Amino acid sequence: MDHIFPIVHVAGIRFDLATLTMIILTSIIVFVLAKLAVRNLSVTNPTKLQNFLEWVIEFVQNIIGTSMDLKKGRPYLMLGITLIMYIFVGDMLGLPIGIVTEAHHGASIFGMTLDLGGEEEAHIAWWKSPTADIGVTGALTIIVILLTHIEGLRLNTKHYLKHYIEPHWGFLPLALIKEVSKPLSLALRLYGNIFAGEVMIGVILQLGIWGTPALVVWQGFSVFIGAIQAFVFCMLTMVYMSQAIVHEEHGEH
Amino acid sequence: MGALALVAAAIVFGLGALGAGIGNGLIVGRTVEGISRQPELRGTLQTTMFIGVALVEALPVIALVLAFIFYGEA
Repeated sequence: MDHIFPIVHVAGIRFDLATLTMIILTSIIVFVLAKLAVRNLSVTNPTKLQNFLEWVIEFVQNIIGTSMDLKKGRPYLMLGITLIMYIFVGDMLGLPIGIVTEAHHGASIFGMTLDLGGEEEAHIAWWKSPTADIGVTGALTIIVILLTHIEGLRLNTKHYLKHYIEPHWGFLPLALIKEVSKPLSLALRLYGNIFAGEVMIGVILQLGIWGTPALVVWQGFSVFIGAIQAFVFCMLTMVYMSQAIVHEEHGEH
Repeated sequence: MGALALVAAAIVFGLGALGAGIGNGLIVGRTVEGISRQPELRGTLQTTMFIGVALVEALPVIALVLAFIFYGEA
């Protein structure tokens, strides 16, 4: 909590420059990874990167297969792969590096003044995971939830609209609460895990040299948590998608 | 409200940790039972356990973020 993030106000909107640069960096890394993996594609003699990407694709196919029929789920394979790769790279990015600069009141970058929260001078952190910002996780969640609603309306209209009042219209408030809590929990879960991990890294760093074993243990744990959260986000996406588009399976009503 | 914010941070995270501990303990305990009953399902049960832990830990982690916010307000 010693350091703050470079916040600028442009046209009344609050922008976090560290998050913006890290979003772009993560996108570039995932894109370069994917591009390099499909160079010299070969069935009989795959390169290591092609092998790795094929493993990722099969992994996501497995995730889709556990929640819905693969024929119905085929269109969402790319969504799942993008989500899991982006979130995983984003989670890992904030762990090894930290860039902190000092700034005084009135400091500005590219002509925009930094918001130091009223202090005279502050330490500004420029490198963090993009998913450690509620804006990024919220955006990913909005994309996913909007997709589930749109696909549910498009592919499964009658059942999708009816499931709010099945099995009894008295369940409507609960169904509405579910529609609110799904996006909230999806966004806050990823945000909380990664943000808390980074704050802990900052706290452990304050111990100086004596914090090294604790830092090693915590970094290892953070890698584990980052991977699990990427997997859970992708899996919950597929579960919500299957709940929206596959409703005829329940034959009891 | 400086001091009360610190108390709020402590309470919110203490209760969150309690919930996380009990919840995770139940999940892992049942998974160990399941593995002991059917050792060939070890992979599936482990994967489901990790998913369950991530889901159960969502709210205590939100409590942790709230505790950091309260601590910053103090």
